[in-house]
Amino acid sequence: MSKKIRLLYMEGVSPLRSQTVYHAVGYAMKADTPNTIIMVSPNGPYVSVGYHQDIQKEVDLEYCEKHNLPVYRREVGGGAVFLDNGQLFTQWIFHKEDLPATLEERFKLYIDPLVATYQELGIPANHRPINDVHVNGKKIGGTGAAQMGIAEVLVGSLMYTFDKKTMSQVLKVPSEKMRDKIFESLEAYMTTMTEQLGSTPDRTTVKDLYMKKVSEALGAEVYEGEWTEEEEAMAQEIDARFVSDEWLYQKGQLKQQGVKIHQDVHIVEAAFKSQGGLIRIIARLREGRIDDVAISGDFTLLPVFALGALEQSLRGVAATPENLKSKIEEAYYRLNIQSPGVTPADFATAIMNAVTPPQPA
Amino acid sequence: MIYYACDIPEDLTYDIERDVWIRFDGDFATLGMTDVAQTRCGKFAALSFRNVGKKVEQGKPLATIESAKWVGPFPAPFACEIVETNEAGFAKDILLANKDPYGIGWLVKVRPSNLEAESSHLVTGEAAAEKYKERIRELKVNCLRCID
Repeated sequence: MSKKIRLLYMEGVSPLRSQTVYHAVGYAMKADTPNTIIMVSPNGPYVSVGYHQDIQKEVDLEYCEKHNLPVYRREVGGGAVFLDNGQLFTQWIFHKEDLPATLEERFKLYIDPLVATYQELGIPANHRPINDVHVNGKKIGGTGAAQMGIAEVLVGSLMYTFDKKTMSQVLKVPSEKMRDKIFESLEAYMTTMTEQLGSTPDRTTVKDLYMKKVSEALGAEVYEGEWTEEEEAMAQEIDARFVSDEWLYQKGQLKQQGVKIHQDVHIVEAAFKSQGGLIRIIARLREGRIDDVAISGDFTLLPVFALGALEQSLRGVAATPENLKSKIEEAYYRLNIQSPGVTPADFATAIMNAVTPPQPA
Repeated sequence: MIYYACDIPEDLTYDIERDVWIRFDGDFATLGMTDVAQTRCGKFAALSFRNVGKKVEQGKPLATIESAKWVGPFPAPFACEIVETNEAGFAKDILLANKDPYGIGWLVKVRPSNLEAESSHLVTGEAAAEKYKERIRELKVNCLRCID
């Protein structure tokens, strides 16, 4: 690409503007608008929800209100996320003809400079296709794509820090146990520059480095520019829409269940009513296997220590009904488990309900 | 025609630039994503339709699609009024368009409002097949369908 790329560097804008700015540049884009990269950080914390999420189901609005955390719906997919000044968002707003046609190649182009920036800072990051950036199996930031008007948009971030505790607090979850599990999983599977380096790198250094890496990856000059009056006007229009209840509370139809920690790791939850009582499951799935599972409920299972042993025995098991049932049967036999009215197949069904929720009729 | 695994039925009409297929039926038209479009988008994660009765200008969204990695519009190939959506179908199976884009995976039924003035870009039959071959080569797409 030989065209010049405009950089808009906006550290410390309002939480709302940190979201609406890339929508505005996208929707205001015309044939002669330069391809634009925005590097933006909010001056305060907030929660961003995915385009199709139902915020009343996904976000603990009471917690957010109590802690003065605004919630904004973005026109990019994915899940709810807690954001603050610890992330530098890197938003590309490009003409579609200047990006590869396939999403795989498009994400590669977008992620390469992020990876190169991390690597030059001494962080062994790599691109985990299709659209994650990993450091030794841990995710460092997320990315997404969207079409806004004639613009193709790619979003992601450079992660200085990430407040995992607050992230786990802002989600609406069925139990505190599930919240603990989410926090544990964020600790286990997400990382930041500060964690990797032991200190937070200088923000100007990171910005300059990223600009250099973008310029190298795209073979184009990146210059610091200003945004136009038209873009500002569009941003004001989108600001108004993003704070409207109509936009914020629109109902979603998201079908994917559970909380995604990174591409391969999800926390899922389900309950199943067996003859001997209710079985509740909270499971962490990694690449289709049970990474961790917590079983609870109002059933009776003896000996008392066996529930923990049963949970242990399921770790690493591929999440299919047959595998789960046979592994549970094996534990029943080995530990001489007695559970009136609850069979190994019931546990397998409860877990499978979490893994693949039953479809509505 | 099947080209690089992409099915382009020649009995349909296409807005190639917007990757939308059209089946005309009297005053109405059924619209959906082409095989190329559903492949490029990837597995649907969510979908929201504009309301039945809404009048939509050419190029504006009739629905918004969210796949695992992307959010974008399903654009109107011409100005029209939405008369029906496939919301019930997608509520049962969000992958309908990824499984059967020209059949049960249709998206909306519309009443075109200015077709005469807005149909010169539409193509069908052999002409559509030829143009799609070019587009598929340009985009370097190999079509994929979901089977479950």
